[in-house]
Amino acid sequence: MAETAIASINFKEAALKLLPEGANFEACLTCGLCSSGCPASGIENMDPRKFIRMAMLGMDEELSSTPWIWCCTLCKRCQYVCPMSIDVAQLVFLARGNWPEDRKPSGIVRSCQLTRASDSTSAMGMPPADFVSVVEEVLAEVRATQTDFQQLRAPIDKLGAHFFVNQNSREPMSEPEEMVPLWKIFDVVGADWTYSSKGWAAENFCMFSGNEEAWREVIHKRVDAVNELGCEVWLNTECGHSYYSMWHGIERFGLQANFRLESIVTYYAQWIREGKLPVNSQWNSRGTKFTVQDPCMIVRKAYGDAIAEDMRFVVKTLVGDENFVDMQPNRSANYCCGGGGGFLQAGMTEHRRTYGKRKFDQIAATGAAYVLTPCHNCHSQMLDIGRFYGGRYGVVHLWTLICLSLGILGKNERIYLGPELRG
Amino acid sequence: MNAPRHFTTQLAVIGSGIAGFAASIFALNRKIATAQVGNTGAVAYTTGYLDLIGKRDGVADVVTDPWQALASLRETEPTHPLSRVAADDIQRAFAEFTAFLGECGLAYSAPGAVNISALTPVGTLKQTLCVPATMAAGPHALAANAACVIVDFRGLKGFSGVEVVANLRQRWPRLTTQRISFPGMERGEVYPEVMARALEVPAIREKLAEALNGVAGSTSIIGLPAMLGMHRPDHVRAELERLTGREIFEIPTMPPSVPGIRLRELFQQVLPQKGVTLVPQQKVTSLSFGDDGATLALSDNFGPIRVHAQAVILATGRFLSGGLEAHPTGIREHLLDLPVTQPAARADWYRARYTDPRGHPIHRAGIEVDDSFRPLTSEGRRYHDRLFAAGVILAHQDWIRGRSGAGIAIATAFKAVTEAERFLSGR
Repeated sequence: MAETAIASINFKEAALKLLPEGANFEACLTCGLCSSGCPASGIENMDPRKFIRMAMLGMDEELSSTPWIWCCTLCKRCQYVCPMSIDVAQLVFLARGNWPEDRKPSGIVRSCQLTRASDSTSAMGMPPADFVSVVEEVLAEVRATQTDFQQLRAPIDKLGAHFFVNQNSREPMSEPEEMVPLWKIFDVVGADWTYSSKGWAAENFCMFSGNEEAWREVIHKRVDAVNELGCEVWLNTECGHSYYSMWHGIERFGLQANFRLESIVTYYAQWIREGKLPVNSQWNSRGTKFTVQDPCMIVRKAYGDAIAEDMRFVVKTLVGDENFVDMQPNRSANYCCGGGGGFLQAGMTEHRRTYGKRKFDQIAATGAAYVLTPCHNCHSQMLDIGRFYGGRYGVVHLWTLICLSLGILGKNERIYLGPELRG
Repeated sequence: MNAPRHFTTQLAVIGSGIAGFAASIFALNRKIATAQVGNTGAVAYTTGYLDLIGKRDGVADVVTDPWQALASLRETEPTHPLSRVAADDIQRAFAEFTAFLGECGLAYSAPGAVNISALTPVGTLKQTLCVPATMAAGPHALAANAACVIVDFRGLKGFSGVEVVANLRQRWPRLTTQRISFPGMERGEVYPEVMARALEVPAIREKLAEALNGVAGSTSIIGLPAMLGMHRPDHVRAELERLTGREIFEIPTMPPSVPGIRLRELFQQVLPQKGVTLVPQQKVTSLSFGDDGATLALSDNFGPIRVHAQAVILATGRFLSGGLEAHPTGIREHLLDLPVTQPAARADWYRARYTDPRGHPIHRAGIEVDDSFRPLTSEGRRYHDRLFAAGVILAHQDWIRGRSGAGIAIATAFKAVTEAERFLSGR
């Protein structure tokens, strides 16, 4: 069957409608800070400056069909470093939505289809009943095998719980034991929390596919699920884009959310400050070095540096000030790792690794043995580029180190730790 | 939409250029609680050189003694912002600013008695007061006519060793050039920023050192485009010198340049660590004054922000940074609509010839201040006791022609902070 043709967008006209009053792409000075600071520059012979110049020159056909839009991770670093604050990602998002479904990267499209296929909103297609069943089985096993946690709870559909906790599908689908550290943390701090059988999943590749209607539908389902349970806080797990897609989606689509949106990172910091999570760095007697990856979706694109500071507070408390090495650049200026924007699902492995080389160099420059990050896409990408470019670092979730520090990390909850920390 | 976040501070600095950052540094050193806001500014476009004054209008020769030139400027242009800051204060301001940079890991030469003849990206020379330590060896090698090779890179735009050598041939006959590929970046366009960050990795430094030794022959001094690391440039340079066994220096490149990005990232990391509340990427949308202070309104991605301050320094720059706006009817100051001294009509903005040696009147447009660097109304009164101004938004200067951008920024920021401190302490 012949491929559907890609319609041509009038980018210049679209830009005028998309941008807030007073902003315009003609303000571009062509200085190149965007391209110089973009890991996707050069891929598919494109870069952000070129994209804007081509748009202003009316090269709509070329821009409408360039596969580069699937290599740009929509991380908005170009806008962050631009003196004129020009938002290239808006045009890239528009171009993505314009591609016919059969021409878009099939991995992203498939993930979106699966997300829409059940009330779970799981991009891996896990239905509600299976999620409930996996949680119950894992909980039963922990209660049976870990004597300190015979009373551990993992509530589901608890009406009026304070926290509605979402869950990246990767854990229940592929590594269910990785759900447990977070449950233990909730247990230690005495949190009133619940999962939901509906709208529990974190990921949202419909947003990355450029399909606004599908994005809205997924967020609507999740908002309804939280509203129905009457929870006060939707607590985002260690997943970057899930926060952004929900937070930005609620405003973008004008949805009625009767709850606050928060990141688990904020609460880790708060609980440590309050003494509810009595972690320290005594376990790190070897002086193992750690760095952190700031996920674009929760730092640069949402909270800004405030959450980056919280994350550093948590990590420094966990590993010791002297064992923390910041990546450069960092916080809001950090580079996207190349796992975001659906790149990991797009099947463009060579391009994705080319993009990730800059992240690899950043990590290598720190000399750290581990990278900590509260984002699943960052996690997967940094593991992959580490293997590909011959790195010797590991990548771990924050929940792993928190439980390690508290001495409550189970033996089967250490899959991302090196042999020296597996116990 | 999230509820506004409120910050209360003694001093609010509006602007994230050299003047804004200098003001925050001076305020920090004086233990004044400070919040700095304003979009990115043009810091990333700087060469890294800190000029005080390099050229006088109507004088053929370049300025070799900036302090003498300042004294002369006071006679001929008493309204020039540099004429309104005491020479001792300017000296102190440069010393304090460069010392701060050095303490934060970016070593600079201290302000001296004379200007340095520094290399430009195209192989011409300019007069400047302070240079980054990574660049200091270049002028020395030039002055000594030492054998030196400029190495550039395949795929790098905006810096050509051939051009540098061609323009310096008469002054520096022992200068030669070579071109190599940067390790791991053999194809496509390469950017100084990307090479600089890659050089933070020891293994890449080793490969580059090998490549440099492959083309340097018996030459013991190597000049490179500015790319010796982003966050530890002095360390990267020292390591490359160790690995090659040669002296190495940097030459600024065309924007976007590494020295500018170094400064921006240093400011953005260090100032919050030292207690400054920094919102660097957003423009202030309104500034209002009440009996008990000033309120700044702005928004970032997360939502609205309000900054409540006892005093404000306006360092919003000129047209590029948005401090001034050009309209068909005239030039306006963006935030408070302060009166702007400017040519009478738009037709008078530019002279007929672009290269007219007298420059163009529009470049001297700007706001007026009193001796305490408080902006003035059209009636010549202070706009508000709490408002001060610094940087190139000030009238009666043409910083590009005068090679005095950093000088105006640093000196007037020093003065504005001094006066703000006086106001805050009730003196």
